[in-house]
Amino acid sequence: MLAYYNPYTGTSFFEFFQIFFHRLFLLASGKLSFHSIAADEIQVFVLCSIAASSALTGTFLVLRKMTMLANSLSHTILLGIVIAFLVTKDGLVGEHYSINMQAMLIASLIMGILTAFLTEFLTKTGRLQEDASTGIVFSSLFALGIILVTLMTRNAHIGTEAVMGNVDALHIDDCVFAGWVLLFNLALTVLFFKEYTITTFDSGLAKALGFSVGFFNYLLMVQASITIIGAFRAVGVLMVLSFLTGPVLTARLLTDNLKKMVLIGVLIGIAESLIGVAISRHILSVYGVPLSTAGIVVCVTVAVFILTGAARLPNFQHFSRIFRWSKS
Amino acid sequence: MSMSPWLYFTDPILRAPTIGSMLMCLSASLIGVIVFLRKQSLLGESLSHAAYPGVILGVMVAGSFGLTEDYQAWLSILIIAGAFLSAFLGLSAIHFLETRFKIRSDSALCFVLSSFFGIGLTLGSQVQFFHSSLYRQIQAYLYGQAATMTDVHIWIYGSLSLLIIIAVALFFKELETITFDRNYAKSLGFPVRSIEMMTFTLTVLAIIIGIRSVGVVLMSAMIIAPAAAARQFTNRFLIMLCIAPLFGMLSGFLGNYLSIELSQHDPLHTTGARFALPTGPTIVIVASLLCLLAIFFAPERGLLLRVIRIARFRFQCICENVLKTIWRLDPEEEYTLDQISRFQPYSSLYLRFVLWRLVRHGWVQKPTAFTFKLTKEGRLWAAKIVRLHRLWEVYLAHYIGIGDERVHRNAEEMEHILTPELEQDLIVLLNDPKVDPHAQPIPPKEF
Repeated sequence: MLAYYNPYTGTSFFEFFQIFFHRLFLLASGKLSFHSIAADEIQVFVLCSIAASSALTGTFLVLRKMTMLANSLSHTILLGIVIAFLVTKDGLVGEHYSINMQAMLIASLIMGILTAFLTEFLTKTGRLQEDASTGIVFSSLFALGIILVTLMTRNAHIGTEAVMGNVDALHIDDCVFAGWVLLFNLALTVLFFKEYTITTFDSGLAKALGFSVGFFNYLLMVQASITIIGAFRAVGVLMVLSFLTGPVLTARLLTDNLKKMVLIGVLIGIAESLIGVAISRHILSVYGVPLSTAGIVVCVTVAVFILTGAARLPNFQHFSRIFRWSKS
Repeated sequence: MSMSPWLYFTDPILRAPTIGSMLMCLSASLIGVIVFLRKQSLLGESLSHAAYPGVILGVMVAGSFGLTEDYQAWLSILIIAGAFLSAFLGLSAIHFLETRFKIRSDSALCFVLSSFFGIGLTLGSQVQFFHSSLYRQIQAYLYGQAATMTDVHIWIYGSLSLLIIIAVALFFKELETITFDRNYAKSLGFPVRSIEMMTFTLTVLAIIIGIRSVGVVLMSAMIIAPAAAARQFTNRFLIMLCIAPLFGMLSGFLGNYLSIELSQHDPLHTTGARFALPTGPTIVIVASLLCLLAIFFAPERGLLLRVIRIARFRFQCICENVLKTIWRLDPEEEYTLDQISRFQPYSSLYLRFVLWRLVRHGWVQKPTAFTFKLTKEGRLWAAKIVRLHRLWEVYLAHYIGIGDERVHRNAEEMEHILTPELEQDLIVLLNDPKVDPHAQPIPPKEF
């Protein structure tokens, strides 16, 4: 399946982009078959899809102050993944486990709803404050997941891999799955953009117009669960949070317009993934050190945010000074 | 082949993990109380992840000095120093994002958490390549690994825990005041900023002690769960500070105990592979279960007792309604079940149960096998309920000025709630009325 010959072997940062865009052109013009794409291209495609999906979902998560819910989901989904393994009994043998995507999707959705339900139960019925109930629910379910993984597989390999992600284990099937996840997110965002916007910014108006804020909260939660499930093989359940928040926060620094923010978030996410893979390849070629590609993408995300922030900060001070003068 | 629990404190191999875990739970729950009451529980989650790159940096420094796994003391100190620095950096990053960029707290926490973790993993993959023998050390900090702790760790973690206990004890007054009323503390002239800085430092310290046995991913549970459990039992800060560590230490011990005991009674043992329940997650599960038990069964605040109280109140309301029905038909007459049930929404089976209870408590008597009649006490009680009902109707209609036709429904609820003191107040307020707004007589007060 995978091309044994990898055209990117030994390339540096800029050569990577040269070859990448050249091959992209070949692929688009039909001179290169879809099955002969290299491992690096699979990585690029999967990471870019994840980044785009995450930016679409993350924008509304950030604006609705629901990122900590995404954090809970990303932890509890591990339990869903493990249960999906147990139910389907798929591929526990061997180094790289195979996956049954339907089972995994269903399990992740159930876990997502269970998480939200348990947190709400502890808050409303158990009278625990919200931050504490969130923390207790996700960490205990995560602990349960780890224990189950250890019991069933006799090692924490899947647990570690689900938390850390492994870009190198990606397969061409993951491309297809990541593509579907992106399509799903794109469709929901385009279809419900207005509804999401109204329920995010003016819940009173939404109620008056007959949109249920709760329904769109749950829909966004479903979107987040599916995005996380689509991402956990490549980047792990924790680093996907960086994909969900990083590009969005960067975009938030650049614009106040929601549509622009979504667009910029998606573009920044895609660019960061591309640069991340290129840097990872560069370090491997030049220094001979295999670093975690997903980790590098996160580092790039942080760097982009810091640079953007630094560029915006003097402006911000400038404006605030004008404001102070106008008052006095 | 169960071992005596005492052995876990004396056996040279079991001793270190048990005492180490308990120390870590002690300090985490002590700090947890403060963090919990300040509603910053999720800060612990972010800071524990933020400590991860520091752990790896510590290992990298150790690796570059050529230290191997045998130098546990130096390794631990380097790791603790690194973790402390990076967790503190994470804390400043959160603060900076919130104040300078006006990013909301949840996004800032989430971004810092995932970014630091990602940076940590990138560094970790470097360690895996250069110092693969030390890589196991890093893995231990992900989910925790109590089993590999030695006496050296106990000395280090013990002194750090002692530091936390002493700091909390010394600054108890300030911590209490700042936690509950920051502005009041300021007006008293407390150095609020410094104390808060100290709290954050202690939080970071507690997290660093904890991640060795529970791991960065699960650390936040050990901060929240004991404090949340303790909160169920008391309203007082000092008592909470005493109960929470007990819960914490109990879960630390039980987590260790269960992870070893259950591993040995493993039915899959026949396959020969060494099988072990991971200690860190087990401690977390035990702590969460304790917290859940506290939420359900604690006195006063517990869910179960609240539900029971509500159910008892409802049942009392139903009893009173049945008594009232008989009284309004005729206090001196006998009625069959069918006649009573005509005025009640409950099923006849349930009504039979209610009447049985009323007979047993002496409010209702059964002159024949099929008829029911109020006793003297029952008559008095029913009259009191009707009296309260009608008094309240008068109050609503004449004093508050609500329409006569709308007062009944509210009075139907208030009749079960009004206390004798309130009744006395109403009598004084309304000049002891004799009829209600519907022109029905208010029964006189009897004793």
